Amino acid sequence: MSLVLDVAAGAVGGGTSILYAALGETISERAGVINLGTEGCMLVGALTGYAVAAMTGNPWFGVVAGAGAGGALAALHAMLVIERKASQLASGLVMLFVGLGITSLFGGSFVSRTINAFTPIALPGLSKIPGLGKVLFDHDALTYLSFLMAPAIWWLLFRSRWGLLIRGAGERGEVLAAYGYSPKTIQYLAVVAGGALAGVGGAQLSTAYTNSWFEGMTAGRGFIAVALVIFAAWDPLKAIAGAYLFGAALALSPALQARGYALNQFALDALPYVITVLVLVVLSRKRLHAAPEGLIRTLANAPVR
Amino acid sequence: MTLSTVATEVRPTRSGTPLLAVEGLTCRFGQVVANDSVTFLVQHAEIHAVLGENGAGKSTLMKLVYGVYHPDEGQMHFEGEKVCIDSPAIARRLGIGMVFQDLRLIPAFTVAENIALGLPLKGPRLDRGKVSRQIVEAAERYGLAAEPDALVRTLSIGERQRVEILKALMAGAKLLILDEPTSVLAPQEVDTLFVGLDKLRSQGLSVIIITHKLHEARAICDRVTVLRGGRVILSAVDPAPMSDGELVDAMVGRSVPALPAERPATPPDAATALELKGVSVKGDRGQLALTDVTLSVRKGEILGIAGVSGNGQRELYEVALGLRPAVTGSVKIGSTEVSGPVAAIEAGAVGVPEDPVADAVVPGLSVAEHMALANLKSFRKGLGIDWKSVRDSLGSLEEKAQLRMQGAERTLADLSGGNIQRVMLTRALATPGPFVAAAYPSRALDVATTRRTQELLLEQRAAGAGVLFISEDLDELMELSDRIAVLHSGSVAGVVVPKETDRYEIGRLMLGGGGEH
Amino acid sequence: MGSIRVISSALRPPKLRSAGREAGRLALAFVGALTVFGAFVIAKGANPLTVYSDMVRSTFFNSNSVAGVLVKACPLILAALAVAVPARAGLVNVGGEGQIVIGAVAAGGVGLALDTHVSGGMVIILMLLAGAAAGAIWAGIAGVLRLTLRVNEAISTLLLNYVAIDILLYLIYQPWKDPHGSGQPVTRQLAVPARLPLVGGTQVHVGIFIAIIATLVIWFLMERTSWGFRLRVVGGNSEAARRAGLPVNKLLLSAMLVGGALAGLGGMVHFAGAELQLRAGMTANLGYIAFLASWLARHKPINVAIAALLLASIAVAGDSLQINSGLPAATVNVLMGLVLVAVMGGWELRRKAVAA
Repeated sequence: MSLVLDVAAGAVGGGTSILYAALGETISERAGVINLGTEGCMLVGALTGYAVAAMTGNPWFGVVAGAGAGGALAALHAMLVIERKASQLASGLVMLFVGLGITSLFGGSFVSRTINAFTPIALPGLSKIPGLGKVLFDHDALTYLSFLMAPAIWWLLFRSRWGLLIRGAGERGEVLAAYGYSPKTIQYLAVVAGGALAGVGGAQLSTAYTNSWFEGMTAGRGFIAVALVIFAAWDPLKAIAGAYLFGAALALSPALQARGYALNQFALDALPYVITVLVLVVLSRKRLHAAPEGLIRTLANAPVR
Repeated sequence: MTLSTVATEVRPTRSGTPLLAVEGLTCRFGQVVANDSVTFLVQHAEIHAVLGENGAGKSTLMKLVYGVYHPDEGQMHFEGEKVCIDSPAIARRLGIGMVFQDLRLIPAFTVAENIALGLPLKGPRLDRGKVSRQIVEAAERYGLAAEPDALVRTLSIGERQRVEILKALMAGAKLLILDEPTSVLAPQEVDTLFVGLDKLRSQGLSVIIITHKLHEARAICDRVTVLRGGRVILSAVDPAPMSDGELVDAMVGRSVPALPAERPATPPDAATALELKGVSVKGDRGQLALTDVTLSVRKGEILGIAGVSGNGQRELYEVALGLRPAVTGSVKIGSTEVSGPVAAIEAGAVGVPEDPVADAVVPGLSVAEHMALANLKSFRKGLGIDWKSVRDSLGSLEEKAQLRMQGAERTLADLSGGNIQRVMLTRALATPGPFVAAAYPSRALDVATTRRTQELLLEQRAAGAGVLFISEDLDELMELSDRIAVLHSGSVAGVVVPKETDRYEIGRLMLGGGGEH
Repeated sequence: MGSIRVISSALRPPKLRSAGREAGRLALAFVGALTVFGAFVIAKGANPLTVYSDMVRSTFFNSNSVAGVLVKACPLILAALAVAVPARAGLVNVGGEGQIVIGAVAAGGVGLALDTHVSGGMVIILMLLAGAAAGAIWAGIAGVLRLTLRVNEAISTLLLNYVAIDILLYLIYQPWKDPHGSGQPVTRQLAVPARLPLVGGTQVHVGIFIAIIATLVIWFLMERTSWGFRLRVVGGNSEAARRAGLPVNKLLLSAMLVGGALAGLGGMVHFAGAELQLRAGMTANLGYIAFLASWLARHKPINVAIAALLLASIAVAGDSLQINSGLPAATVNVLMGLVLVAVMGGWELRRKAVAA
């Protein structure tokens, strides 16, 4: 198979966990809360997903448990920033730490366990399309689910009444409050939903992509997801493209190595992070205007009003 | 009628039971009694003004009616039923709608999305088509034009206000409360608003207008209730037979000494304090906010700036102090070319900002630290700051300004808007300088402090400062200014001398000089 | 602990009371965190009381461990100050990890190139300069991005951490790999004269003095100088700073550069005092722990150093966990995270919205 197709297929497979996390973070940021702890949510989701899959023998239980674990960690973040008005960025990092610690505390015994992992399902017919079939339609069930999840979250945010409330909470919570809604409750739900999706992303990583658990396995994917949301201008559909771009950057290194190219592995490993910084550089000034008002206050360190 | 007695007797009503009857309402915040046994009646199909100066308890009363605050004593009847309004949601369900001064709209949302927030929608789906149809229908019924798909961000203040009113009406309001609705409008826009309100009255709706402007109360209102210090001074009186003096006495309770009417004229050969030549400036969103503005302020002169808010006042203030770069043209303070804030400060310019909390207050710092900040260079001592001389100078500033500022160690995060404004004013106006820019200096102040602020501006003028005085209060502008420049969509629509003109001429210029007048 | 000490004696008692309340709140937060952590330990089948007493005994009643704490505290204090200085200016520097790594790499480059040619003292001075400069540049990248393109510095510093680690990996896997080693991806060890000297007969190197001096200098700069005051203004309200004629961008950048230099210095100290060679994972999350330390102490320099010392002892205690209870050393990350959660959860909203 050609290098391009190989990388493209790898991009979709490897980008899926980032996509889930980015979709979740989109909901959270639309409600005005940035969660750097997305990385931690992914980690606990990855371990919980793997552990439950190992214990029950069914990876779907793992995914549900991973979502729960990610959501629980995000709920802690929500409490700190919404209730206690802690710094969103600092609290997010504390969540990363809690996630790192908990997963190393409980993860040790699962490093060598094997699970019934999600296996690629070649969709009949579709997977036979030349090129595209291999890239898009020969993946695990969670990847297919993410194809549906992105438009579903777009609909939630922009076509549903709940989306109106989520976006309203991120723009001007006091307006919602004036209409008898509780912006705090809405933000709680949005942050927890975001963490749950990051948990699913983590579970996809451990139970469908690498089929293993090891400490720190998310390796910054959560942070990339947070950055991705910014340059996707808080739009779930644009996040798809961004996630696959990073999937491609991740897939490039093994694909080249498999072909024996003598490229520097570490330069390639640094690629996703460098690309993220560069894309932020190119797009950030324009994008910040599209940001929910509540988020601008956090990102631009505007004075507390 | 004697003004000193508290008038509480209930006047005969037009249609039997009043729409809203408030009896003996008391509301305390700690030691402060914001509303003291207030009785207040609104009839069906009437427009009712609630008059009073800042801090009189007008807003508190309305927030009690709207369920934002909860009374400590007293009761309310709405449409003859005893009601307990615990939250705005209950108020809205009863049919009470409120339009706040700081409009409660989300700029990034469309008109339809904003209105949908106020409608009792069910289910997960947001049916935009249906909401839009309802808006068009309601807009027609009430004569309040609105475009459902327009982003609120792109609307003028007057249009946004219309959306707010429409939103309240569509949510089923029978009683509409408007908080200072005219403060941001040009006189002609006020007329348009009043025509709309008149139409609502003819459809049987009632409107409460909170205001401190007498002529507006006279222009449209059937009854007036005057509050002072949390108590009702006049209850539901017909304003027509009363004189302005009587109403002012009721509002203020003491006569405010008039400003000296006779002032030495600015010598015609006085040097310029501020000179703008062909200045164009970009606004926050990159659009041209000022276009080719040429203005000058002479030493010993107050140049008033009138205009509907959002027509370039903020940008004018900022470009004059070097806070915003001019795209074209030149800005000079005295003989100094203003290239940035440092140049302006070094030329001796000071400013009273429009939004101090956003632009001048560092929440964690104390009053003294804010004083040091205004003139950091002169307080330097080695690597550090000479805090002793900061405190000394603070004492003398306080003495000169007489604005009853809070203690030097108070943190600004703990001060109210009025007290923050006192710090800003003391800092800027106590020492005479060559140029002062003051944007809405008397916002959030009571009558006495407002008067003192105006005196300080006149003292600056007398000491030879050029004063750029931006205000939305035409009376204040006409009283203080030697000349008034009127801004309309970023250009100077005209410069007038207060003695030779009237409000409507200025209003005509505020709307761009065309118009029907 | 504001920069003006003009408070009349009449104001002192409430100040003391509030200091007492603060200490009480911290203590409460700590107890809360220990309790929750205890529950996790129980879930792992260990007895929390045994675990705690083991941690205390092996950390504080063992001269080797005390030395270990001080050695770990050196880079930690410096990297925590690297968070505190930008934080005063309202910047969130999460790049301590990357800045330590780059500082260590620069120091390593200079040290390993010169240690056999130049006198030890000279090498140490050059390594200090190289480490500080490299850290400053690494943080400066994020600072410049923030100032010119409004890229949020929290996100850019985070991502640069990974880039820095990849640079380290590249160097130790290829060009700088010890040719006479066992094939492990590590550099050779720094020659003895170029190492930071040990204090007396202990295991503690002179880096601890560097950390203490840095703390005092930063305290002086923050609390006693016009620069520190201006940083606070910028951090409190950058628009107000601009309007007062302060060079906001220069101040922000200076805060970031000073921060980066401190962390870079931390990397150098860690390399030349403790690790003595570059290897993968040599920083062991020091940068992130330092971030927690600074937030724990609300960015007050002296308190930051104390908090860093505290977290260093927790980290060292983690090693005893592994030996005595069979729990992984990284488990203490949970404890650190929980302490922060408890402190943040108890954090009063000090900058409460200015009353309208």
